[in-house]
Amino acid sequence: MHPPPNTAAPRSRFAMLALGPPLALLVLMSLPPTIGALLLAFRNLTLMSPTSRWVGFANFARMLTDHRLHNALQISLLWEVVTVAGSMVVAVLLGVLIFERVGGRARDLVCLALILPILLPRVSAGLIWRFMYSPLMGVVNYPVQLLGLPPVEYLSRPSTALYAVAVVDVWQWGLFFAVIVLKLLETLPASPLEAARLDHASTWGVHWFISLPMLRAPLITMIFIKAVESLRSFDLIYTMTNGGPGIATETLDLYAYQTGIGMSGRISYAAAMSVLLLILSTLAFSFLWKRSQRWSD
Amino acid sequence: MVGLMRQIGVVVTIVVLLFVTLFPVLWTLLSSFKTLKDIVTPVPTLLFEPTWQNYAAVLATPSVQHGLANSAIVVGCSLAVGMLLGIPAAHALARHAPRVKGDVLFYVLSLRFMPPVAIAIPFIVIYAGLGINDTRFSLILTYCLTTISTIIWLGVPAFEQVPREIEEAATLEGYTQFEVFRKVALPVAIPSLIGAVLFTFVIVWNELLIALSLTSQNFTLPVVAASFTTMGMEVPWGIINASTILLALPPFLFIGFIMRFLNRFFGAGAR
Repeated sequence: MHPPPNTAAPRSRFAMLALGPPLALLVLMSLPPTIGALLLAFRNLTLMSPTSRWVGFANFARMLTDHRLHNALQISLLWEVVTVAGSMVVAVLLGVLIFERVGGRARDLVCLALILPILLPRVSAGLIWRFMYSPLMGVVNYPVQLLGLPPVEYLSRPSTALYAVAVVDVWQWGLFFAVIVLKLLETLPASPLEAARLDHASTWGVHWFISLPMLRAPLITMIFIKAVESLRSFDLIYTMTNGGPGIATETLDLYAYQTGIGMSGRISYAAAMSVLLLILSTLAFSFLWKRSQRWSD
Repeated sequence: MVGLMRQIGVVVTIVVLLFVTLFPVLWTLLSSFKTLKDIVTPVPTLLFEPTWQNYAAVLATPSVQHGLANSAIVVGCSLAVGMLLGIPAAHALARHAPRVKGDVLFYVLSLRFMPPVAIAIPFIVIYAGLGINDTRFSLILTYCLTTISTIIWLGVPAFEQVPREIEEAATLEGYTQFEVFRKVALPVAIPSLIGAVLFTFVIVWNELLIALSLTSQNFTLPVVAASFTTMGMEVPWGIINASTILLALPPFLFIGFIMRFLNRFFGAGAR
């Protein structure tokens, strides 16, 4: 039996079949944790007690006076700024440098080397650098000791710990983004750059005034992506300092983890924090995404 | 003279760059073949008698074997589901759903905004309520959120790069929509899709926080590797280095594919 010669029905059926199940599963898996976190945030569940009751806004009220939370918010914000800015600066400088000075086969090999760090699991990257930062046997301290200076405990000094971890993040993301910037530069038409060079613009001038503005849209998207990914700082910080020394590197997700799962098992309070984190990040990123789409046009 | 100086400057810069990029990984690789005596020295040793004992010790550890098996199963299954559901969805979005495409893509992207800890904490309670906490199944289910959304996100541009004309020609030949996807679009888009799937693999294989939170028995390899630093008095650096390399090996195997994916993704059109 032949199907009726109606092309509209099978057409939409394929799209429905292809889109329905995955979207249903995504909604099914993303709504419960969101709603669940909200419901938990208004109760007083802990890992110790099997029962819990409704406590209204008590968890949120407690946040207002929780200094460790305020510290975590500050650390998270500082982490975002340092890692996003660091990665983008490294990416643009290196991308332009390679574009200008390295060509042919060497360029491909350099690119291959530069994407290696981003493929490392955060746990591996964290352990590698923790090993290198070690005050007694770490290679980072070896030159310091050759100069006759005492070894620097990068990860156990509150003033350096966050930056020492951020270096690892920039080592992974900045170098990877340098490859992306290079690929983007390669796609640009050569003529505007040539024209500027004929006018004796300096190499960096050409890029600063011509090619980088032409790449504004993808660069803004990269900043956006890095900002989203920087929020996932947990894996790296957990492996390298576990929030220490003290709470000097404790970001919001680390504190929420320690509260809910790691140390104290105060599930409801951790849920309230994760609701805060969820609202802050969703609002900020939705806003930034819409804005970045507009800037890009 | 100035030109020569500049040339030397560039070479030096590139050498320093490559050193900073590669040295940490090479140093760890080297140290994974050292005995603890060779590692714990104030002066870094370059010449030493290589040993396999760290790898032997790591691979003989029951928690590593368990974590390796769990990682393989959990990542394999969630990736399979992600491909099965994500790839057709990406094609449908690229070709048949122009009105909802923007919204769906934004929704899929916004799932990435969700902090992992905000997913993990409620899921602990939900999975415990369903009686499936600390199982591979619950971890697979959670990772599907990542695999499906990432494959859709990266798959849409892959299908958009397929020339429209050949799909239209196939439709005129009487192919159904499914046949156009299966026999025309998919084979053309496959190289880009492989890159998208490998990228997704790297993300899930490397994931720590969710696995750490949702499991206590059925942990994955990153959880095991992270736990080595907290055990015992004497930090077993040889073993840590070996497990670091072991954990990083699968993503490294695909570095060539991922480079080609980047070239394809960004080099489209020009050049």
